[in-house]
Amino acid sequence: MASNPMQQFTVYKIGPEIKIAGVDLSFTNASLFMVLSAAIIVTFLYFGSRERKIIPSKIQLITEMLYNFVAKMISDTAGSKAKPYFPFIFCLFIFVLICNMVGMLPYSFTVTSHIIVTLIMALFIFVAVTIIGFVKHGFKYLNIFIPSGVPAVLLPLITIIEIISYLSRPVSLSVRLFANMMAGHTMLKVFGGFVVSLGILGGWLPLSFSVALTGLEILVAFLQAYVFAILTCIYLNDALNLHH
Amino acid sequence: MANPEDFKTRLKIAKSKIKNQMLLEKDKKGSFMGSAFKLGTELVAAVGVGTIIGFILDSWFGTKPWLIIIFFFLGAAAGMLNVIRVANKMQKDD
Repeated sequence: MASNPMQQFTVYKIGPEIKIAGVDLSFTNASLFMVLSAAIIVTFLYFGSRERKIIPSKIQLITEMLYNFVAKMISDTAGSKAKPYFPFIFCLFIFVLICNMVGMLPYSFTVTSHIIVTLIMALFIFVAVTIIGFVKHGFKYLNIFIPSGVPAVLLPLITIIEIISYLSRPVSLSVRLFANMMAGHTMLKVFGGFVVSLGILGGWLPLSFSVALTGLEILVAFLQAYVFAILTCIYLNDALNLHH
Repeated sequence: MANPEDFKTRLKIAKSKIKNQMLLEKDKKGSFMGSAFKLGTELVAAVGVGTIIGFILDSWFGTKPWLIIIFFFLGAAAGMLNVIRVANKMQKDD
């Protein structure tokens, strides 16, 4: 029995080592679970959208609910201009959601509990949003660093603060997801360890905690995927509709 | 042939169900734990980014430790700005 609560986050290689131009591209358990999540999404959406009935089957109903949920989220937060970005945000949301949910299964690996995965996603969003902003508005996009109604004396200071605030977006986006997932899974393992060490007499209390925490973790898994997607929408909104 | 009276009551029940559903969704919108995490990371991330910028600029200009101190406080200011913005947005949503 693994007693170290951090052991679940170890990345190890599966199969042969692959090196291309000095970069280690070996297939790891993280890649395996990403592929698994993607496969689950593809099969699920394939069966959900295969038969288009007027009275939907259960799987079609869930697929349509997912679609409506993301579509409503985008139109509520980023407006009608953000409609072309629906596929990207839908992919992001469902990938994070399924990765989190797959991580909830015993003996599985949580891809989103590694900061490199979430940081790459957040940096991609950050760069994409910045490019969209510059393409749509040209150099006027730089106006988001200059809030209106600030006295000229304070302007350099405020601009630096605004730039730091803008640069902190990908960090807060990725750290939030990674920290939530890692903390939750560590806590589950710690309570699981208590059950083992207290044995049959005292183990019932941590076991009940563990059950409650599992429920909480499923909530967090959904909530963090939602927050990740909605913050992407908010950043997109800032880039599409300049407010300052 | 369906009874028209029966249809009316069924319609009424269905409409009230939709109404309840919408009320429920509105309640779910302000999930407190999500907002708490959001505010926390927002503050910490800006302080971290400010400090890292200060560190990089320090090693560029060779002005250790001054810029790191200045940018630490600027980062803290940016973090508070972020928190105020998020909090304002939350209030607007409610």
